[in-house]
Amino acid sequence: MLELNISELKLNSPLILASGILGVSYSTMKRLVDAGLGAITTKSIGPKPRKGYRNPSIIEINPGTFLNSVGLGNPGIDNFMTEIKEIKKSKFPLIVSVFGNSIESYIMVALKAEQAGANAIEINISCPHAEVSSIGIDKDLTFSIVKSMKEELKVPLFVKLNPNVTNLGEIALAAQNGGADAVVAINTLAAMKVDINTKRPILSHGSGGLSGEAIHPIAVKKVYDLYKLLKIPIIGCGGASNWQDVIEFILVGASAVQIGTVLYKGLDFITDINNGLKKFLTDNDYSSISELKGLAHEFETQEVPDFD
Amino acid sequence: MTKNTIETVKIKRIIDECDGVKTFVFERNEKSTPKPGQFVMVWVPGVDEIPMSLSSYKENGEWSITIKNIGECTNSIHKLKVGDYIGVRGPLGNFFHIPQETIKNIILIGGGIGMAPLRFLASELIRLGHKFKIIEGVKVGNELLFEKEFLEYPQEEIEFHFCTDDGSYGQKGFATDLFNFLIEKIQVKDLKNSIVFTCGPEIMMYKILQICLEKKIEMYASLERIMRCGCGLCGLCVVDPLGLLVCKDGPVFNSYRLAEIEDFNKYKRDFSGKKNSI
Repeated sequence: MLELNISELKLNSPLILASGILGVSYSTMKRLVDAGLGAITTKSIGPKPRKGYRNPSIIEINPGTFLNSVGLGNPGIDNFMTEIKEIKKSKFPLIVSVFGNSIESYIMVALKAEQAGANAIEINISCPHAEVSSIGIDKDLTFSIVKSMKEELKVPLFVKLNPNVTNLGEIALAAQNGGADAVVAINTLAAMKVDINTKRPILSHGSGGLSGEAIHPIAVKKVYDLYKLLKIPIIGCGGASNWQDVIEFILVGASAVQIGTVLYKGLDFITDINNGLKKFLTDNDYSSISELKGLAHEFETQEVPDFD
Repeated sequence: MTKNTIETVKIKRIIDECDGVKTFVFERNEKSTPKPGQFVMVWVPGVDEIPMSLSSYKENGEWSITIKNIGECTNSIHKLKVGDYIGVRGPLGNFFHIPQETIKNIILIGGGIGMAPLRFLASELIRLGHKFKIIEGVKVGNELLFEKEFLEYPQEEIEFHFCTDDGSYGQKGFATDLFNFLIEKIQVKDLKNSIVFTCGPEIMMYKILQICLEKKIEMYASLERIMRCGCGLCGLCVVDPLGLLVCKDGPVFNSYRLAEIEDFNKYKRDFSGKKNSI
């Protein structure tokens, strides 16, 4: 009932772990799949080890809403290949998120990940508080990196979109034209928190990316708009915190949904979401979650306001 | 305000405990009651934010952390004065379960600054009327923590044993030696009616685990790892191969779990997520 295919990946649940959350060790990733996730996206992996920004780097600022600036801390692809190989002993779909400092280094990291057993590559061109954001705000750079990577990779390529742009549609189209197999919408929104007692920005980097409950309605709107434009699948991402949020993403056009921040509530929450999804489908006489895809688009919305 | 939100609070009191160790007392607006073994993320504005076990909580709302000056962030904390702000998030993680009254032998084993959470546990055990033993091991005599406080407890109810690696104060030896010595005096049938709580260097806790597994003594240890979030998101504090998170599934683990954690006393991850030998 919850099974679906996205690109070549077969998922037992529409829930995918979002990049940046818990995707460090093979053992935690396995635990997340055992808890009911359909696929895992790893933390973004780059060409070499990188410690990232100092703490505070992840804080909650309102209930269920977090601000982070990890700064792409990661062990580097060479160290991470041992984790990938360990993960591949379990048979779940693994999406490795990659970044680089040039098109060549993106390709190098992605090829190593593919060689180690990644089932798909997600490219991070959108981290709002790191230097790679420059690609994700430019449609030509997005097109060329996607096209170059597609020429080298055998596995599907997903592009995670940066919402901190004026025209998300044109970047998403550039990714599609470059040959992307899916887009992930959206990455975190650039945000900031200042402590009023010390008068300081709290995050060591000053600002960071907002995730969790507060950004869900924004992500829903982005997916809704992209669904009208794109032919390739959209993976919804942004603040999904319960099964209702997941249904909402699918109704506006998402083929699958990434979750991340909500896991601060614990891994048991994944079971609750899957059970909620199944019950909703049963209660409403649907046999597959994919039947809900895009249904919100069947309704006309008012384009021009009423006058007098 | 939630438990993962940074609350800036003024330092109310600073207590010099011993060479290089200070206790910082503060009050919170955020009303919650921490339990022994839980920790807070402590933000030193402009410097860093690090996990720190609570060393006390009083019903008047005073919390404390006891910090050894070992690195850049702890050095900065040591330079703070009464009235300066620190940020705190928490209480985070699980806690030491207070044993039932039928447990005969409760033994707290601390190594160095690992005494901090055990001191909080000791005060809670006293409040609940338990009798127990404390073993404290330190490298040299001037590092002995909470000695005066522990000796003020009624000694017929709370036995305080301590040792130094170099014999500069008290008995020479390791906490594990004292522990072995103490359990030899406990009858075999009472061993399974014993419980050990420990915190300190991982090598020490590892040795205590081996003894407890052999003698079938229930045991709990508090682990420390690098963390960013403190609430189950960053994944840096994972222990393999179980995939458990020290911040959320821990920091306190029982002996059965510890025996399955292959990283225990072997590996820690750094901020990049790379595994390094301890």
